[in-house]
Amino acid sequence: MIGDYELRLTGDQWDGLYEHLFPGDGDEHGAVVLAGISRSSGKTRLVAREIVYPEDGIDYGPGPGGVWRLGASFVATVSDRAADEGLAYIAVHCHGGTTSVGLSRQDRRSQERTYPALLDILDGQLVGGAVFATGAAAADIWMPDRTRVPLDRVVVTGPNRLVLTPAPDRDGATADGRFGRQALLYGERGQNILAGLTVAVIGCGGIGSLLVELLARLGVGHIIVIDNDIVEATNLPRITGSTRLDAMEWLTRAGRPAWIQAVGRSLSRRKIDVAARIAKRANPRCKVTRISGDVASQAVAGKLTSVDYLFLAADTYRARLVVNALAFQYGIPGVQLGAKVRTRTNDGSIIDVYSVVRPFGPTDGCLLCNGLIPADKLNDEALADRQRQAQKYVEDTEVAAPSVITLNAIAASHAVDEFMFHVTGLPRSDGTGHYVTYRTMESTVERTEPVREATCPECGDVKGSRRGRGDSVALPATNS
Amino acid sequence: MTVTPAITDAIEEIKATFPDSTVTAKEDSGGAWVTVDPVELGPKWAPESTTLTFHLADTYPYADVYPHFLGADVVRTEGGGYIEAVTPNASWDQHPAVQVSRRSNKWNAARDTAAIKALRVLDWLRAQ
Repeated sequence: MIGDYELRLTGDQWDGLYEHLFPGDGDEHGAVVLAGISRSSGKTRLVAREIVYPEDGIDYGPGPGGVWRLGASFVATVSDRAADEGLAYIAVHCHGGTTSVGLSRQDRRSQERTYPALLDILDGQLVGGAVFATGAAAADIWMPDRTRVPLDRVVVTGPNRLVLTPAPDRDGATADGRFGRQALLYGERGQNILAGLTVAVIGCGGIGSLLVELLARLGVGHIIVIDNDIVEATNLPRITGSTRLDAMEWLTRAGRPAWIQAVGRSLSRRKIDVAARIAKRANPRCKVTRISGDVASQAVAGKLTSVDYLFLAADTYRARLVVNALAFQYGIPGVQLGAKVRTRTNDGSIIDVYSVVRPFGPTDGCLLCNGLIPADKLNDEALADRQRQAQKYVEDTEVAAPSVITLNAIAASHAVDEFMFHVTGLPRSDGTGHYVTYRTMESTVERTEPVREATCPECGDVKGSRRGRGDSVALPATNS
Repeated sequence: MTVTPAITDAIEEIKATFPDSTVTAKEDSGGAWVTVDPVELGPKWAPESTTLTFHLADTYPYADVYPHFLGADVVRTEGGGYIEAVTPNASWDQHPAVQVSRRSNKWNAARDTAAIKALRVLDWLRAQ
């Protein structure tokens, strides 16, 4: 079986594993990573759910012939757990070295002795054997049919994205000269990293269109744009690059007969088409994949399981629920962003004006834990329009809220900054992962540390939680 | 009925919670309308025994469960109209009903269930 194989670890998992493997004693140490499996478009992602540490000298130590190995009872216990939870079993250990590492002949002989039996126990799951140096990783992944493939990389989604490969990347790709000024910030290597990434922009309205433009100009290699809406005349002041022609304004404007307006809407351009045009004009080398649909549907969400980063600019709570689930289930970092103008219902006077950027995902906060996916709002969204009208106290979602490009631009710009620092390895002097609110009326910036609830069904450590489960559990998405 | 595993589990829990009642469920947009028949409202309501209906959204258990609906003929025993959060002349899925609107501001998807919420709503009604 050929494809691209990647193991994803959170920053906390990597910190713990590194400390265990490299305590400074020069000895060999081992552990087992239990990982959810995700397969999509020829890519297999192993998403670490848990790392099980043996006790040195009891569960891990030299066996016959002096070869270090995990104890039989430890292997039996952990492999049973992997089988019960539908997870891959990846035994890891350390070698010396820094930026290069490989499995030894002894490692491979050990795999050949033990992995066929493990594959039987795991009944269809994957088994792997990995070796880490301080700055490199290599592994063989065994398929249920006992063929094996090399792991392409380990990706650590910590505060900074870290990629570990068997040897330093010497592909020699040279960054496009047009990006020279920005590459001065994060280096040619950073520019090449950006060119190799796939990111999803969910929602291509005012904020999403700005995101697409910024990401394309930054040099991101592949942008997946998702939206199910068309451009309307009232969107034109906010969707960057959109034109009156996109909105068929002369056909859809008020006062035209209903049938002409309907024809106009049918001819209006989709927001994803405008987003693709923006991206291509900004950076012709940028690959753009257009998905017309709602991220809350399984058909759309299922296409995002192997992306490198999620930008959530959609305005439904259902979208938040599904994208937050994607982040934890598949180990994908992301950022949710928006801008809001709060007004008094009686006289329309302004209460608050703010833009907000909230990183979420494996190493950052969880939108559910932090009260950003309210249970009542989810319930409201699920009610059909007919029921909403019958249950009169529910807010009328058809009432247009104020929306201004300048506020959107604050959020979009800072969200892309968050992403840029994360993937290119730029240092942050004061930590990452906090929510930031930019309050325009007060000219203030508020920082909030997101909470993590241990019992959270999404990000928590409890049995059955979604974190690191890959394809073994369903996303909370609709089947439509 | 094609519903999520979480809704299937919720219906089973409701059946176990109301063992002396008939629990029926009707699929609706990936969620389900659930009716428990009968439930006891206590002496402050007439009739004391009625039906309790509620909708489980397809995002359950992340979504709260409200409003709840009683039989359309339910009135206060003492007369004088209904109380706040209880509204007559409402309907669920085109069935006439009395609506009980009790949101759970601290709903926790890891802990709260439709069965627990139904018991809480009934306790609240009995206490009014």
